[in-house]
Amino acid sequence: MSSDKVFRTVCPRNCYCTCGMVVRVRGREIVQIEGDPLNSATEGKVCLKGISYAQRVAAEDRLKVPMLRNARGDLVPASWENALDDIAERLERLHSESGPQSVLYYEGSGSHGALSALADAFWNPFGGPTRAHGDLCWPAGLEATRLTYGANAHNHPRLTRDSRFILTWGHNPAETNIHQMRFILEAQEKGATFAVIDPRSTDTTDAADYHLQPRPGTDAALALGMANVIVEAGLHDEAFLARSATGIEAFLLRIRAYTPERVSQITGVGAGEIRELALAYARTRPALLIAGFGLQRNHHAGQTMRAVALLPALTGNIGIPGGGWQYANLASHQLRAPSLPPAPPVPSRSFPTARLGRELLSLTNPKIRAAWFEKANPVSQHPQTGPVVQALAELDLLVVVDQFITDTARLAHYVLPAKSMFEEEDLVTAYWHPYLQLRTRLFDPPGEVKTETEIWRRMCERFGFDTRYFASDPREILRALLPDGKANLLEQLKNAPVDPSGNGDVVWSDARFPTPSGKIEFASEEALRLWGVDPVPDYVPLEEGHASGRAQRFPLQLLTCKTRGCIHSQFGNLRWIKDVERPRRLDIHPEDALARGLAGGDRARVWNDRGEVRLGIHLTPGIRRGVVHVIEGRCGPGDPEMNRLTDDGITDMNYGATFYECLVEVEKA
Amino acid sequence: MSGAGFLLDLGKCVGCGACVLACRLENHWPEGVSWRRVLPLNLDRFAGGPTYHFSLACHHCDHPACLTACPTGAYEKRTDGVVLLRAELCLGCRYCEMACPFGAPSYDAAAGVMTKCDLCAHRVDAGLRPACVAACPTEALSVGPGRRTGPFSSHANEELYARIPGFSAPAGCEPNVRFLPPRGRIRSRLVRDLEEELKP
Repeated sequence: MSSDKVFRTVCPRNCYCTCGMVVRVRGREIVQIEGDPLNSATEGKVCLKGISYAQRVAAEDRLKVPMLRNARGDLVPASWENALDDIAERLERLHSESGPQSVLYYEGSGSHGALSALADAFWNPFGGPTRAHGDLCWPAGLEATRLTYGANAHNHPRLTRDSRFILTWGHNPAETNIHQMRFILEAQEKGATFAVIDPRSTDTTDAADYHLQPRPGTDAALALGMANVIVEAGLHDEAFLARSATGIEAFLLRIRAYTPERVSQITGVGAGEIRELALAYARTRPALLIAGFGLQRNHHAGQTMRAVALLPALTGNIGIPGGGWQYANLASHQLRAPSLPPAPPVPSRSFPTARLGRELLSLTNPKIRAAWFEKANPVSQHPQTGPVVQALAELDLLVVVDQFITDTARLAHYVLPAKSMFEEEDLVTAYWHPYLQLRTRLFDPPGEVKTETEIWRRMCERFGFDTRYFASDPREILRALLPDGKANLLEQLKNAPVDPSGNGDVVWSDARFPTPSGKIEFASEEALRLWGVDPVPDYVPLEEGHASGRAQRFPLQLLTCKTRGCIHSQFGNLRWIKDVERPRRLDIHPEDALARGLAGGDRARVWNDRGEVRLGIHLTPGIRRGVVHVIEGRCGPGDPEMNRLTDDGITDMNYGATFYECLVEVEKA
Repeated sequence: MSGAGFLLDLGKCVGCGACVLACRLENHWPEGVSWRRVLPLNLDRFAGGPTYHFSLACHHCDHPACLTACPTGAYEKRTDGVVLLRAELCLGCRYCEMACPFGAPSYDAAAGVMTKCDLCAHRVDAGLRPACVAACPTEALSVGPGRRTGPFSSHANEELYARIPGFSAPAGCEPNVRFLPPRGRIRSRLVRDLEEELKP
């Protein structure tokens, strides 16, 4: 219709693709959502979640007014004035009684945008609350890549098309990075070989020419074993290594012990299969190794990722189109910090995010008495749901800002309604493609919804803090975030995504690696110094792995992987997604089921000494024996609470979480 | 053979469901109605085999059973092959629903009429691809023949196209849907042969 308006924008979810979008709007209704053809990684397509925004933004259960818990324990509507007055009064009281660190401020990954940083226009003058550091998802792999190559960057995703051999490891792009899958399928159509390492069978492994299914947590041994085969066959790129690598001697010494036969015993993958894959990978050029997040969700994640990340360097696949190491691409992360009031002189107290429940229950001096969660749903997403729920329930004040009543919001004293991505302009970075993109304001927030920026401004007013950091023209704030000398970037971003990095499409083609040695580090003294780990990556059996003592009682390794229709606990509440999403059941190998007297369609009790969950089972010989799987993310009351079982361990590097180091036992419910 | 219908590359369809949501948004499905669905075959991956995903809607048959069964003449087979349902002529008797072997007509209980995929005739008439095809992230779904894309894009050889497997033709309705067999280790001889023949 002629009254329709068409906007370019970007999906801000915590997802590889960060799709550029073209959205057609009729009044307040979204009538069409397509991909932005100018984003040459997502190439004019979005996924099903992207299309479901048309329903999500107008969903009946979306919060439109602040909610307050009344004396009976029910959440009831409240006015902004009363809600913020009461929250401010309670925070002020806690501040004077126990100091600013008795309050936790937690911002999750639910929606990306540079304006989030403005929360500190409130928290800095407040005196610095307690915070969480690290990340539940990817930090070990980031640090492993940084230690090895000096920075997190990789080739432009579209160059995957030019690859002759693609090896994905702990990654399921058919569900979690659909545009990557498109490039892989196109490369395969042109004759490339596609190999996948994953203990499960997925829509990705279905397309693979090779599929190896190692035991979870043994990937470092597999990588070192592949290196052993490659070096034994003389297929390592000696000229490249002499030019661009350091520590290779120590590495060659290390891999001697990792013969295919020994690695086969550790990983449960046949020695012949290991040889075959290693030789095929090393003999084909350009070869691309794409690592997902799945293999770095255990205590030895960083060392595992370092071992895997070295294979592209060993074979000289770095700095060439169609080759390389792909983990995360931070090329678009060039924004400056906003202008903020000075941080308090005493550094804030913080704890590793994975330990949220435990820390909230045990921190003293001062004890945590209030918490404010934004873009986060820790009851669903943090390990050890039991302690998390207990800790949140014991707080004097819990404020949750969200678009929907999540598991966490259900515990809150106040739930403040959050804007959607279509209701505030912002800058969005990515971690797969190199583009900085502009999130556009299509219409005003519905009902009484306020942007988080506006909530913080009003909080500042109540405390008498300086509000000039919230410029009346929000674009002024965004302009101030742009990198030096790129003042006109905002205008460019209105027309197209921009790669602000200057890296080019092929990274490391200049062979200048920003590591301490200036070379790719097969041995890293920095790894030893910062994290106390072996400078040369090694395989260390998991404390809670298949060969641990604990496996006597709980012999099955539980994986909780992502699905195509949800980002963690988001989207799954929507009717459009429910109608196409698969049920969350326990995937179990028929032989493991038979040994426990379980038959297809049965309900099972899954438990360990941290908790128990009951859910239906799904027999599939596609999953490795000894491994069970349930889709992660609890999107509603019907979904299983898998994080009652997971441990709140911390990765060897960079404070990640250890979700996939989780032993369980299963019996008929 | 007519120009309308769908070609699905089973080697590229990963069952993501974007086609279903794109259709739902574009065509404003009423409550309880479904024009397109993705049916997984071997979701359990038994015998070590893969899962195949069949994204299916109306097949715009050459001899549509819905059209034959309709007592009011609400169905029309356009010259370009699109099977159209004119809701204003529909009584809601649901005979078409019973007649179609593929479950394509979908009943709108609130309005008391049938609804059905019209191959996004409004888009096709404007030179656009149907919403499901335009949205497909892996380009697995296309319109064919005539408008089809992919390995057969520049070729109009009806004889070869007819050799691509589709559904058998229950009740002689000649459904216009074709499936390119999967790629990788199980890519069938048929596709290799066809591609060989189609080389310029």
